Amino acid sequence: MFLVQILADVSGRVPLNPIARWEWVFPVVEAIHICGFALLVGSIVIVDLRLLGVSLSSQPVSRLAKELSPWIWTGIIIQLTTGPYLFSGDPSEYVQIAAFRNKMLFLFVALVFHFTAIRKATASSTDSAPLGWRRPVALVSLALWFCVLLAGLWIGNL
Amino acid sequence: MGFMSFCQRLSETGFSKHLREAPYDFPILIILHILTIALFGGMVVMGNLRVLGLALRSVPVSEVIGQFRPWKWTAFGLLLVSGTLLALSDPVEYGGNIMFWISNVLLLVAGLNALIFHWGAYQSVEAWGSAPRAPRSARRWATVSLFLWIILVFAGRAIAFF
Repeated sequence: MFLVQILADVSGRVPLNPIARWEWVFPVVEAIHICGFALLVGSIVIVDLRLLGVSLSSQPVSRLAKELSPWIWTGIIIQLTTGPYLFSGDPSEYVQIAAFRNKMLFLFVALVFHFTAIRKATASSTDSAPLGWRRPVALVSLALWFCVLLAGLWIGNL
Repeated sequence: MGFMSFCQRLSETGFSKHLREAPYDFPILIILHILTIALFGGMVVMGNLRVLGLALRSVPVSEVIGQFRPWKWTAFGLLLVSGTLLALSDPVEYGGNIMFWISNVLLLVAGLNALIFHWGAYQSVEAWGSAPRAPRSARRWATVSLFLWIILVFAGRAIAFF
């Protein structure tokens, strides 16, 4: 308890978390966050455009999805590391920002959608079937990630 | 007339004032700018990763690069337009910002790098494009391109801090 008290005391005056302590940490981590977003969206958009039937039509959907999956995971891991760290700089401030709460909601829905609807739409059993219902699924996916980006931009008050 | 006084004049024009003061123009431009960065950057990165043999190995290089070209250039056009308008919204601030100029030089270098690839290794893409991994000269180009784009995001973000 004594140690906790000292830590709390010290961190009250000198923040222990680098992001709260030095001004440059935030923009650097944020830049990594932007790179991660480009990677994540880049790989997801390729799958979505294929499902819409606008590009790479000669490639089987399931194979594209399978080959891009490690990059989607890399993107998700970068984002789920840098994102919470950016949040840790001032948690009580962020939870009060409506844009932040909206972003978390959109992100949750987008991820759930990705691992349910998109996963189903890219299953190998559907490769020879017409795109049909998978086109609107791709549109919803694009719209959800767009909302995540939009809400994210709004957090910093632009 | 010096460059900064030119920027000063530019910022006093009605158009620049409008961009600076209208309530929605700036946020809309920022959103468009970041959205097109994500789209354009994402596609460039996926193309680079394909050439390096790290992603989409079963899809021929010419298909990955060719099929996304119209999307990439549409995004790039919007990126340039929104970027120019953002710069015009406050010419004095950006004109005197070293990071703004570093970002522009990096963008130019990335463009030159892309042209070198297009006129060089890419000319014979039909010969090597189906292999999972591209020849050394193309891989070197892709590595430089990836590196430039990552630096560009950092430099672009740093504009606000200088």
